[in-house]
Amino acid sequence: MYSFTQPKKKPLLKEDTKLWLIFICASVILYISFVVFLEIKTFLYNKDTDSFNKEIVSLKQKIIEMDSQKQFIYKQKTLYEDIMVKNSLMKDSIKNLLDLIPDPITLSSISFDKNKLIIYGITPTQDIYNMLMLPPLESIFTETKTYFYQMKNGWYKFKSENYLKEKE
Amino acid sequence: MKIPKISIKIPKIKIYGIDVIKNFLFFTLFIIITLAIIAFLISPAIHSFKKAKKEYYQTKYNLEVTTNEYKTKLKSLKKLQNANRKIINALKRDFNEKNFKMFASKYMNVHSIKEINSSVYKKDFLKTTYIVTSTIKSPKNFYDFIDSLKTYKSVLRVYFPIDFVKNKENINLTLKLEHYKLNPKKAK
Repeated sequence: MYSFTQPKKKPLLKEDTKLWLIFICASVILYISFVVFLEIKTFLYNKDTDSFNKEIVSLKQKIIEMDSQKQFIYKQKTLYEDIMVKNSLMKDSIKNLLDLIPDPITLSSISFDKNKLIIYGITPTQDIYNMLMLPPLESIFTETKTYFYQMKNGWYKFKSENYLKEKE
Repeated sequence: MKIPKISIKIPKIKIYGIDVIKNFLFFTLFIIITLAIIAFLISPAIHSFKKAKKEYYQTKYNLEVTTNEYKTKLKSLKKLQNANRKIINALKRDFNEKNFKMFASKYMNVHSIKEINSSVYKKDFLKTTYIVTSTIKSPKNFYDFIDSLKTYKSVLRVYFPIDFVKNKENINLTLKLEHYKLNPKKAK
């Protein structure tokens, strides 16, 4: 048979079908790109969050260390001030005790201990000692013992033992 | 037995040459794909993105708060360290016999310094006890010596027993001296 028309090439997909497929594919690519973008942003946020968290933990650790350093400085300060106060109290207590010694009495040695005071000295008479030195010693110490030894010139050497008894 | 042939024929309805049914089916397919992607990909991604973003800003805020706290505490620590520099340094120093003799020479003539014992004091400190024998001219020298310990570069405490023995014009003084320093373990 003879045909007057030339045969036309028949495309596999029609034009409108192609358009639809391209449109759908482009949309899917856009959707997936959007999802990938979101996932990347989420990953970056999570990464930064992790890094922030690590930094927070490190800073908190440093804060704890600083607090402990501060406490230790306060401890050192307290010790230092305590020692200086105790030194001053020691000086004042010794000064007060030495100021108690009346003029006629001469000391040859004095020994201060934690709960004890031993004094060696010379007094013109026992009465001077008993009137001028004994009362203040008795007011400070809980127990006072005095021993006298007469010297050739009539004066007395004395030994005074004074004790502080701690309250039970 | 013959199997009956089932054939589904989609009717073709054309308006101005456009296949309405086919386009409608493609449109439906597009909507279904879109909805499926939204439901299974975009929605969970947005959800986790929002969660991550919220957490990020929350953590960033916490970091700022912690950083401010750290800066404040660091500043206050530095201030405290500067205010107590003398004490901190004094407690780091060892007892130097030669230096002490030189320092004390203004008030007394030191004859000997003998170490008695050394022990840990309040866990963090080390207390070393010395017996010092010396000569002073008057008790005032002793008082001035105690006052001057405030300016000495080490931490020293004068402690009992303290003996004053008259020796002609001078007084022989024997006293216990306690030196305090940081426990080497703590100092590290």
